Amino acid sequence: MTKSSRRLLGLLIFGALAGAWIWAASALWRTSVPDDLKLPHVDVGALVGASGLHRAQHFSLILDLFGLAGLLLPLVVLAFYAKWGHRFMRESAAGPIGTGMLLAMLGIAILWMAMLPSSIGQLWWLRRYGIVKTGYAEMVIGTWFALGAEFLGICLIILIVMGFARLLGKHWWLAGAPVFVAIALLVTFVSPYMSGLQPLKDHAALVQAEKRLAKKEGVAAVPLKVENVGGLTTAPNAEAMGLGPSRRIGLWSTILDGRFSEGELEVVVAHELAHHKHNDLWKGIGWYTLFVFPIAYLIARVTRRRGGMAVPLAVPLFLFAWVGLSTAILPIDNAFSRRLEAEADWTALEATNDPQAAKALFVSFVRATNENPNPPFWDPIFFGSHPTEAQRIGMVEAWQSRNGG
Amino acid sequence: MNEHPVTLHVMDDLRRSRLTVFFRYLLFIPHGIWLELWGILVLVVTVLNWLVALVIGRPAAPFQRFIAAYLRYWTTVYAFLMLVANPFPGFTGEPGSYPVELEVPTTPEKQNRLKTFFRIFLAFPTLFVLYVVLIPAMLICYPLLSFAWWAAMITGRMPRGFRDLGANAIRYAAQVAAYALLVTGTYPCSSPYVGMEFGTPVVAAAPVVAETPAVAEEPTAPEAPEAPSEK
Repeated sequence: MTKSSRRLLGLLIFGALAGAWIWAASALWRTSVPDDLKLPHVDVGALVGASGLHRAQHFSLILDLFGLAGLLLPLVVLAFYAKWGHRFMRESAAGPIGTGMLLAMLGIAILWMAMLPSSIGQLWWLRRYGIVKTGYAEMVIGTWFALGAEFLGICLIILIVMGFARLLGKHWWLAGAPVFVAIALLVTFVSPYMSGLQPLKDHAALVQAEKRLAKKEGVAAVPLKVENVGGLTTAPNAEAMGLGPSRRIGLWSTILDGRFSEGELEVVVAHELAHHKHNDLWKGIGWYTLFVFPIAYLIARVTRRRGGMAVPLAVPLFLFAWVGLSTAILPIDNAFSRRLEAEADWTALEATNDPQAAKALFVSFVRATNENPNPPFWDPIFFGSHPTEAQRIGMVEAWQSRNGG
Repeated sequence: MNEHPVTLHVMDDLRRSRLTVFFRYLLFIPHGIWLELWGILVLVVTVLNWLVALVIGRPAAPFQRFIAAYLRYWTTVYAFLMLVANPFPGFTGEPGSYPVELEVPTTPEKQNRLKTFFRIFLAFPTLFVLYVVLIPAMLICYPLLSFAWWAAMITGRMPRGFRDLGANAIRYAAQVAAYALLVTGTYPCSSPYVGMEFGTPVVAAAPVVAETPAVAEEPTAPEAPEAPSEK
C-alpha cells in the first residue's frame, strides 16, 4: 500500500469515526422537551422576595469566585507539577509503574495542599449561610483521609494507562479508554450499594405516590431510599442512582425534614423517576464514552514529548493534560446535563400534572440553597449541571400555558 | 553469634522527604491492599507447603521463592510505613531494590517433620514477643502524631535511634513470619543484635533501584551507606 493510499484510508476511517461520533452525540443530545418551547421571563424577585433574591445573588457571587478558584488553581498547580514533578522520581525505589503511581499520588497531594485555603474559604462561606454544618477541622481531616480513596483511584488509572502503554506503546489509549468506560459502568452500578442508603420510613403516602407516578410515566417503580446527610448540610437534594437491578432513588434526609409539602415531594420523585425512564444514567455513560476516547488519544499525543505513558517521567504531564482537558469539556458536559435535567422536569410536570407544586418546589429551592435563580451568563457554563431556578419556573409556566393552565 | 538465616540489611541514609512523610499513611494504601491480596495467596501456598514439607521433609522450592518474595516485599512496605526508609517501594519484592532489605533463604532447607507438624503452635510464643517489640515501635515510628513522624517532618531526617527501633521490630516480625511460614526452621531471635546488619547490602553489587528508569532522570546524590551502628 502506497503512502498516499494509506493516508486516504486513514482519512476515510477518521471521517467514518467522526460521523459516527456526531450521530451518537446528536442522538444523546435529543430530549422529549418540545423544540419550540419558549421559556417566559420570570420575575423571581416577586416569588422569593427582593431581600431573598439579593441574599441569593450575594451568596452565589462569592461561591462562584471560590468555584472559579477551584477550576483555575488545579490547572496552575498541575502546570507547575508537569514541569517539575519528575524531581520526585528520586523518592521512589519502585519500577516504572510504581514510580508513576508515586508521582501521580504526590501530584494529587500537592493539589490538595494548594486547594486547602480555597476549600476552607468556601466552607466558611457555606457555613455563614447555614448551608453546610461541617466543622473546619472535620473538613481538613476528612478531606485528608478522602485523599486515600483518590490515591487508590489514581493508582488504578496509572496502572491501566502505564500497563497498556508498556504493552501497546503509543496506542495504549485504544485499550485504556474501553477499560475506563467499563469502570464508569461498574461505579454507576454499585454506587447505590456504597452510598449508605436507608429504607424510607414514615412516608407511606410518598411510596404510594411513587407507584402511581411510575405507572403514569411508564417505568417500573424504583425503590425509594434515604441518604442521611442531616449532620453535614441543610441543602435539599435527591438523585437517581444505579443501573438495572441496582436502580434507586436516593432522597436526602434534608428534603424530608418537613420544609417541603407532599405535592412538592411528588414532583421530586417524578423528576428522579423520569431520569430512570429516559435512561439518563446510561446516557451519561454514553456521553462519557464519546469523550473518553478523544481525551485519551490527546493525552497519549501530549505525553509523547515526555517519552510516552510507558515511563513515569510523563505522569506529571499526564495529570495536567487530564485535568486540563476535563476542564475544557466542562461547559459541554454541563450543557448536556442541563438538557437531561430539563427533560426530567418536563416529564415530572406531565406525570404529576401539578404545576403549582412544581413552582413552589423551585421557589423553595432558592430559599433553601440560596442559589442565584438568575445567575450571570458564565455561571451555568462552568457550574450549571441543572437549569437555573428561573428557567425551571419558566418551564412550569410554559407547560401551564401549553396545557391550558 | 549474630547470624540468622533471616537477616535485615539496613542501608538507609536517614534522609527523609517531608512531602512523602506527611502523606506516608496514604501512600501506603496501595501497598497495603496489594500486601493483603498477596498475603491471601501466601496463606494458601503455606498450607500446601506445610503438607509438602511433612511429606518430603523440606518445603517446595517454588513455594519457598514465592513466600520469600512476599517477605522481602512486606519488609520494604513496613520499612516505608514506619519511616525506617525513605523511598517508595516497588510492588514485587525484587532483591536489591530497597535500602532496607530482608535476606531470606530462597533455597529450601531440610526441616524436622515433627517441628513442621507443630509449627503454628511453636510460633505462638514468638507472637507474644512480637507484640512486645512491635507496640513501642509502632507508637514511635508510625506516621501521624508519633515522635518519629514529627522529627522527620521538622528536620527532614529520621533520628537514628527511632529508625533502629523500627528496623528491629521489622526484623523480628520478619523472622517470626519466616518461621511460621516455613521459610526457615531457625527460631526467631528477640535479641536486636541477631539477624541485623547495618550498612551492608545483601548483594555487594545490588543496585539501589530495581529497574533503570526508561528516561534518564536528573542525577541525584547516591544514598551513601551509613557507618555501622553499634551491634
